[in-house]
Amino acid sequence: MELFFRIAVFVPVLFLVAVVVVAQQHATAQETIKAAAGRTARWIIWSAVLLAAMTLLELLFIGW
Amino acid sequence: MVDSNQTDPAKGNGLPAFILGFVPGLLQWQLGQRQRAVMAFASCTAVLLVGWSIVGERLFYWGLAVPDGKSSFDSFARLGLPVLPEILNLPAQMFGALMSFDGSATGLRLQRLPRDFEHIAGWVTAASGMLAAFWAAAGHWDLRLRRDGHSDEADVAPSPVANPALCAGLSWLVPGLGHAKAGQKDKGAAMGAAVVIVFALGLYFSDGHAVDRAQYGVWWIGQNLFGGGSLFAALVTGPLRSVETPLDLDLGIVLCTVAGLMNLVVMCDAYTVAERTVFPLRSGGRDARGEGAAV
Repeated sequence: MELFFRIAVFVPVLFLVAVVVVAQQHATAQETIKAAAGRTARWIIWSAVLLAAMTLLELLFIGW
Repeated sequence: MVDSNQTDPAKGNGLPAFILGFVPGLLQWQLGQRQRAVMAFASCTAVLLVGWSIVGERLFYWGLAVPDGKSSFDSFARLGLPVLPEILNLPAQMFGALMSFDGSATGLRLQRLPRDFEHIAGWVTAASGMLAAFWAAAGHWDLRLRRDGHSDEADVAPSPVANPALCAGLSWLVPGLGHAKAGQKDKGAAMGAAVVIVFALGLYFSDGHAVDRAQYGVWWIGQNLFGGGSLFAALVTGPLRSVETPLDLDLGIVLCTVAGLMNLVVMCDAYTVAERTVFPLRSGGRDARGEGAAV
């Protein structure tokens, strides 16, 4: 449950961070939000890759 | 508007100008703006003095290194140099530190002693550092205008839609307000809402205890980059009595700090949006910022 709670916070916050980051390349809110949605999706994929890599390292060096 | 083909938008004013920015008003003095120079110095010093009169030597305890007579940073810490963001108002901060440092056991104990109204007083001393930074930004902008702001047609310096330093300062207090001033209202509202929501989430998860300079001083440096939020916390949530440690305190602290760092991006972008109304990017650049900046 705790993990689901953290993910439920992580994804919206990731989107809000993306809004601020991509806004630097856009002039209107509409363009910004559209671009932020795409950027959030990419960041979620990278987060999953990072999580998988860290889990793999944990399994290799610490064990199950 | 200046011909963008003659100006490199990435070219800075150099290291000497950067160093001069640590003394409020010195850049304005160099530019011959004597009245503004005096105003910059006096305003930053007065604001620090107001906060210092309440917190005094306790400011030492909120620095990144505490003067304890043992660490290698001791002399550095005695001058008040590791205290952020007050260090941006260098002369007043150093003078205050030199005058109030007491290395005796009583003096060191006083640094750890909580004061009445220390939350708001700590915010005020920090505001003096931020104010100094915005005065420095205004000086840098005027230096830039003097260097590059002459078009071929007329020998008159162009004026931006709003002063970039003012836009950055407004964004520090209310995220997005600087963009509104520079002509990008809806984008400013989106960016501002993003910062405020993340900050509010942080306060919610920590039961209001995430933003506390006396408890989490290092995190507070980042949180204070959203000045309006840290002011709210200093007035409302900071003085709240903490009965037990909230379950998600760590999450709250991180979210409030992330919101502060997000607002640093907002402030820089507000400055740039206003700047681009005079110095647009070269044609073919990736950035579309200049398009919406003109009102």
